[in-house]
Amino acid sequence: MTTAAFAARQGALAEAMKREGVDLLLLFGNNWHADHLRYAVDFGIQEGQGIALVHPDGSASLLLDDPAECERARSEGLSCDVVFAPALVREAKARLGRSGNRTIAAAPFHLLPYGLLHGDSDLRVNDGAKIVERLLMTKLEAEIACVRRAAQLADEGYAVFRAAARPGRKDYELIAEIEAFFRTKGVPENFMIIGVGGQEVRGMAPPGGKILKAGDMVTTELTPCFEGYYAQICRTLVVGEANEAQKRAFNVYLEAMVAGIATTKAGVTAASVAKAENDVFRKYGLGEYTTSEYTRVRGHGMGLFPDQKPQILEDVEIPLQAGMTIIVHPNTYHPEVGYLVLGDSVIVREGGCENLCGTPRELFSVQ
Amino acid sequence: MRRGLMAWDAQELPRAALEDRLSRLRARMGEEKLDAFIVYTNIARGAGVCWLTGFTPYWNEGLVLVPAQGAPLFATALSKRVAEWIASVMPQGEVVTTPKPPALIAEQLAKSGAVRVGVLELDGFPAGHAQTILAGAPGVELIDATAAFAAARAGMDPAERGLTLRADALARESLASLAAEAALDPLALVAACEQGARLGGAEECFITLAPDLGKPGGFLRADRPHAFGSAFALRVSVAYKGVWSRSARSFGKEPAAQAAFAQAEAAFARLALGPGETLAGALARVFAGCGQVKDWSAEQPRGSYPLAAVASADGAAEGFDPASPFVLNVELEVAGLRWRAARLLAPGG
Repeated sequence: MTTAAFAARQGALAEAMKREGVDLLLLFGNNWHADHLRYAVDFGIQEGQGIALVHPDGSASLLLDDPAECERARSEGLSCDVVFAPALVREAKARLGRSGNRTIAAAPFHLLPYGLLHGDSDLRVNDGAKIVERLLMTKLEAEIACVRRAAQLADEGYAVFRAAARPGRKDYELIAEIEAFFRTKGVPENFMIIGVGGQEVRGMAPPGGKILKAGDMVTTELTPCFEGYYAQICRTLVVGEANEAQKRAFNVYLEAMVAGIATTKAGVTAASVAKAENDVFRKYGLGEYTTSEYTRVRGHGMGLFPDQKPQILEDVEIPLQAGMTIIVHPNTYHPEVGYLVLGDSVIVREGGCENLCGTPRELFSVQ
Repeated sequence: MRRGLMAWDAQELPRAALEDRLSRLRARMGEEKLDAFIVYTNIARGAGVCWLTGFTPYWNEGLVLVPAQGAPLFATALSKRVAEWIASVMPQGEVVTTPKPPALIAEQLAKSGAVRVGVLELDGFPAGHAQTILAGAPGVELIDATAAFAAARAGMDPAERGLTLRADALARESLASLAAEAALDPLALVAACEQGARLGGAEECFITLAPDLGKPGGFLRADRPHAFGSAFALRVSVAYKGVWSRSARSFGKEPAAQAAFAQAEAAFARLALGPGETLAGALARVFAGCGQVKDWSAEQPRGSYPLAAVASADGAAEGFDPASPFVLNVELEVAGLRWRAARLLAPGG
């Protein structure tokens, strides 16, 4: 990201550390949870694990246990000190020990290495969630610009997906095509799962080699990232012409998504958005299919992590704030046609939200 | 995340191979007087659980509990609806989806009366999970059993060897098919390479590039525009059914560099460890007359890491098993340029 945008992020982190009275912040990450490291030192970790030690003045050390990742970090010209630490926990612990009697916080706390907090000299480390979580959820305008670009890439990616989907192709061949497209656009990561088939399909997963055939519904969520920031789109297509049941079902999901998006604005809770979506299903006698038996969430936050807080569920009372980026997706199983998805990414604003996805809200048909 | 082909093939990974692995781990557990064994997994550290069960989570995390008897239990926070899919691609173990996998593991440990519980890489085990287990199963003692796991896993079995060779073939073939010397756009080259690997069934593919071998610098991700120098290199890391290999090649645009690189490549292809020979010795031998060896490292699966440095030029890495396949990364100085390459060496095969 641009130097100015990264500086803004560093400033926000420094301010949060000061507010919480923290002298040293330890952030842990890997290719699954890369968000904390990315936020603080702008490094997208791919292999191994890393720990960033961040000081209130913005200076930081990045410890990496993979030599190639360490070489890459140095070549990327990060502003922090990069250290190869094959014994990652031991190195981090030694550095914390040398830092003296300071107030140390760490995140994500539950994933911290056990050896860091236990052993001969137990360190006192506080949960740093208060410092980091809000920053990850509520974006600066520079961050929103990245999410907006990621959403454009998601739109372009879905156009490639539609063009790639045709009878006789294997599900993983579609993914190969999408990924190649994203690489040409400089997208290093994409969260993507897929469903192929009919009423028997209960969800999406990585591809297993299914061959597309006429009548199949093909569901996917594409989640490319730009400068580390993810945006998602969920769409369903039918191989051949959609039948009446598929069209009928799609209209329920469309109404639910529109209701969810219409409810989304600063100040309302995540629960309110989920309720708006689920009420539509209940209106059509499909309330059962809004439960965890059939669906995970009705949307979620996105940013440096593709599936971050807040989860859009009827029991999540987190108030939405201006600057949050979320996807509203009433994805679930439909008893007549199988698993169906539809979702758009939005930015929460005062009084409403800004839609980021431009792909038509249609049940697509491919030949 | 893993988004390529994920499927179980009994020909490639027979249940008998997994049962044998489990027996080997249990034998070590017996020697160490462990009542149970816990292995953690996520997409960055999936090798331990993959070796035991054949499964790598495409996202999220999970824990495998190996009791003294009975089937291993895989507890994951992936959603309930995904359990059926996991069972279809995980040939060994029972799947339980739960929002709190460590709490479920604790419940099982408490029920079984386990006391000494071995953990793979206890130092790196998520502290929150450890606390939940210790709180939910009072009396349990967590013991670092990384060495016991390594001993059980020592010597790559034929199934893992087969998957490694397939991953390697995907990486090599994706690089071999490129018309790289004429390429102007690094991103397009990376895309073509990745597409080839994924069309061949790669579960995951990481590609990095060293855009200008005439200058210092390492392999970079293709997430921003790069301009190629007169020589450049691509490094392809491929996962196939949870097992990883890497391949890297250098490409010269000028005839002189092409000739020098071809000579180095031919020498590298001939490399094999002689009886009792060290890696450093073998490298010096095959590259004599090609260029000066500047750096090298060898990688093999270790614990939960799919590939980890096990030997290196500076002597810092350890744990190398010369009888099992390994990835060898090399950097030479050739004709005033750096020449970077990586290949799988599969002794005895």
